[in-house]
Amino acid sequence: MKSLSTAVAALVMGVAIAVFVVHPLAAPQSGGAMPPASAISRTADGKPDLSGIWQVVNTAAWNIEPHHASKDVPAGQGVVVDGAIPYQSWALGKRNENVKNRATADPESKCYLPGVPRIMFMPYPFQIVQTPKQIAMLYEYVHATRNVYMDSKHPPGPIDWWMGDSRATWDGDTLVVDVVHFNDETWFDRAGNFHSDAMHLVERYTPMSRDHIQYEVTVEDPKVFTRPWKMSMPLYRRMEKQVQVLEYECYAFDGEEFHVTPP
Amino acid sequence: MSTQRVVLRICGALCLAAAVPLSAQNIPRRAGPESQKWQAPRTADGQVDIQGYWRQTNNVTTYSLEQGEAHRAVHIKITGQRAATGKPIVDPADGRIPYLPWAQEKFNYLVSVHEGPERVVDLDPVARGFMEGVPRINLQTGFQILQMPNQVVFLYEYGHHYRVVPLDGRPHLDPAIKLWMGDSRAHWEGNTLVVDVTNQNDQTWFDQVGAFHGPDLHVTERWTFTSVDQLDFEATLTEPKVFSRPWVIAMNYSREKEEGYEQYEHAVWEGNKSVELMVRPKAGSDGSKQ
Repeated sequence: MKSLSTAVAALVMGVAIAVFVVHPLAAPQSGGAMPPASAISRTADGKPDLSGIWQVVNTAAWNIEPHHASKDVPAGQGVVVDGAIPYQSWALGKRNENVKNRATADPESKCYLPGVPRIMFMPYPFQIVQTPKQIAMLYEYVHATRNVYMDSKHPPGPIDWWMGDSRATWDGDTLVVDVVHFNDETWFDRAGNFHSDAMHLVERYTPMSRDHIQYEVTVEDPKVFTRPWKMSMPLYRRMEKQVQVLEYECYAFDGEEFHVTPP
Repeated sequence: MSTQRVVLRICGALCLAAAVPLSAQNIPRRAGPESQKWQAPRTADGQVDIQGYWRQTNNVTTYSLEQGEAHRAVHIKITGQRAATGKPIVDPADGRIPYLPWAQEKFNYLVSVHEGPERVVDLDPVARGFMEGVPRINLQTGFQILQMPNQVVFLYEYGHHYRVVPLDGRPHLDPAIKLWMGDSRAHWEGNTLVVDVTNQNDQTWFDQVGAFHGPDLHVTERWTFTSVDQLDFEATLTEPKVFSRPWVIAMNYSREKEEGYEQYEHAVWEGNKSVELMVRPKAGSDGSKQ
């Protein structure tokens, strides 16, 4: 698939102006065939326009693997592509320990920045602000942010950032974001799935219509998994008139540890 | 990376004073009518183009808006550092917040205990890890502005705060919705972006010593593009139940020109020890969990 994609991308670049009127035939991702080029919004420079307010509609926040319902947890078919997460055996043991201890061990219970990709499928909206050189992703959950810089290099590591360092390029109509420089303190979900500080992500954002983006992320972490693995899900545009991202300040509610209002 | 940025990243809010350039103008300039006369660059959709990274040049910190001598003496005692001398309050002329008598009494109390309050709720909300509110965030660190058709976006480095400011004339949020950073709506008046901010909760302070407001604060910000590398800022603060009159703070920002400059992640809540370190409960009380 990758070689086909590269060849087609080269062909499309070769026909220059035609890109804007002809279907840019990038290789289909796991979300299915690409839409006609005219079916998606574009910026003044002809790139797909990803700006807007987006949110998943799935249960990956609870568990990225297939799961039946339990108390306060809706059932879900999972977002991991091609079977179970390929944990190394020690890591599967740690995941199972995490499940047992999740009430206190889950970083979400401490209201920490949730990391990537977890922030992408938490049940809160986020806004994409797209400029030619920089794409900002602004999240309602704990006002997390990501600055995705176009066509630039990661700063030299090691750096342990909660949200990593994101650098992107366009592959046809797909935004490809390379993310490194994570710490080892974030999880993928509330079901104890985890990674190390060696995690490397490749995210692919492919607009499928004006109002949905196929989001795919490949997870590579040789300290924890036996091979790279992938998640895939749609992001849907929030369609409400005048919808805006509000605030979910997880650690700032009445009655929480550093409570807000006087007793 | 400049020394200033290294200091900012190492020691955070409590020692910002040391990080501000000492050669800066301490009395902010207010943009006059001449600032509307030049042909400012425009974005493709016709807005005045104020995109880029900006940093404040008035030696103003979030420690104390009034910057009285007593406040500065306390700052030196707490931090061992010379306090900044920038004075952001430009109206009233005495540089004091025009609190109503009841509010002045509360403010005086908060100032008197701010070094080591007995109660968590008397500690600066930002030290507790909460969001800054508007206009305080504009005093805290540098920021980046991005513009899109119908919106202006402020990205602040400190604590990854951000503001998305619509220009499309939509009404404010329902008053029942309270936000730490409020609800911003803006329009352009010549070279000035006028931002109307409502819906802020009553939990934020303007500074570290206890300058507070109530639940009905109304802020009007004016961001004037006075030259290609200069943004002049003013905010008028109105809340008749707390202040005897509207009052104004001002600051000036210049364009950050360091090549390849980017804002880095600045996590505040994660690992915050301020409550443990700063709250000093009376002997026999139950400490920070009261």
